[in-house]
Amino acid sequence: MRLLTHNMLASNVRGVTSGYPLKLEATNWCTKDVDLNADFIRGLLPKIDWRALVAATRALNLPELLPEEQPSEDEIFAEGAVNVEGSAIRRIHHALLEIHVQQGALICPESGRSFPIEKGIPNMMLHEDEV
Amino acid sequence: MIQIFSKTAARGIHRAIQTSDSYCLFSNNNRMSTSDDFLRAQDMMSTEGNRGCSLSVQSTPEIEKKYVHRVYDAIAPHFSSTRFAKWPKVAGFLNSLRPGSIVLDAGCGNGKYLGFNPDCFFIGCDISPPLIEICAGKGHEVLVADAVNLPYRDNFSDAAISIAVLHHLSTVDRRRKAIEELVRVVRRGGLVLITVWAREQEDKALINKWTPLCEKYNEEWVNQSSPPVRSQSTTSLECIAENDEGTGVVKQIDDQLNKKCDDLEVKTIIDCSDLSIDEIDKTQQEYFVPWHLPFHRAEIGGASAAALENGFAKKDEKKGAVVYNRYYHVFVEGELQRLIDGISNAAIVDQFYDKSNWCIVLEKL
Repeated sequence: MRLLTHNMLASNVRGVTSGYPLKLEATNWCTKDVDLNADFIRGLLPKIDWRALVAATRALNLPELLPEEQPSEDEIFAEGAVNVEGSAIRRIHHALLEIHVQQGALICPESGRSFPIEKGIPNMMLHEDEV
Repeated sequence: MIQIFSKTAARGIHRAIQTSDSYCLFSNNNRMSTSDDFLRAQDMMSTEGNRGCSLSVQSTPEIEKKYVHRVYDAIAPHFSSTRFAKWPKVAGFLNSLRPGSIVLDAGCGNGKYLGFNPDCFFIGCDISPPLIEICAGKGHEVLVADAVNLPYRDNFSDAAISIAVLHHLSTVDRRRKAIEELVRVVRRGGLVLITVWAREQEDKALINKWTPLCEKYNEEWVNQSSPPVRSQSTTSLECIAENDEGTGVVKQIDDQLNKKCDDLEVKTIIDCSDLSIDEIDKTQQEYFVPWHLPFHRAEIGGASAAALENGFAKKDEKKGAVVYNRYYHVFVEGELQRLIDGISNAAIVDQFYDKSNWCIVLEKL
């Protein structure tokens, strides 16, 4: 599960009004290189819940990866930034697309329901009494 | 309010853009093992089966558990090995999406459309853990989830697709709910593509190979050797009666209890293949469609042995296969459109019939 996916996942347990964002617990994760595409990031960024993304990186014990406040568009899409090691866009790209949580859980912030992540696959199925 | 635009308008909305310098968001180096799939799925279901039932539209009826979920769990590797042909209309839709689009595939099966357009980011989900593990093994971004209750926040994705999924849902409310979920998760202006099997099959002979099911009001399992003990609360679910010792014909019981719950939406769908052709209404839409799992398939040992023992699969020695029945509600012309009539925030931008499927493209308003 990439953090981009985490950013859109929500708990759908019956009675939960805001099952978002899911608290991430990761016991095992890895990274895989993906070519950076600035246009893709540009299209995606307005939809990303920054706080949820930052919280996810913190949960992976990566406090330095992203700042609390989202950098300005000017900074993120500055000319040549994609080629600069450690630039905002490269960090955002890395956080959203290159990190894979392999083992862990997603916790509903309202009900406390834990959804397991095994072999990189979140299981979001509910029991009969939860729908 | 539903508006129907012309196909030309639809194409305009698709804003087809093709780029030459495509990039790929997926790496395919993630291998997965598929061991213990069926056991895990069975565990999950027996747990669910013993829980109380509710009237929620999101509660999975027994017929879907037994004749959709379990079957796909059991046949997953074989099913996947036969599902690779990309359907041109779906391919065309996916290729028309803007680069950078996020596409949700609800009921992605073996993931044959995931990553189809390398300029888009695909996330697939399916209710069958074995199928999802197959997708993950190909390096796709996937999760286990129910298409009737998608675990995504609102208005996020640019497109959502539901390919050959809705015909496995056994009530009109569930079919409508699944469409509402697709609309909910796409952004305003986002597109939803839905395809379903048509009753109007191009190959007319095909339907004769299927088992028509009759809808009858009933509430108890006929054969108690079937999974969990059914409680009174079962009346709130749609149930399927068990086969009568391999004849394929189902007997009914408990007419008295029927009357008690006439006003509840309770029905048992039974095999009516012994009826004459005349008796089978031309409006027949509920079927069992067989899946032949050849004896030589590796998975026949574990999952199928259990299935044969439980009586929800049968051996066909002539064909050298274990035969599973999959539940289908095949759609008639206009039915998809009617389902969408009550959805106020979506407009139909295209609809067509192709390769024995009814298809519709919606835009979120």
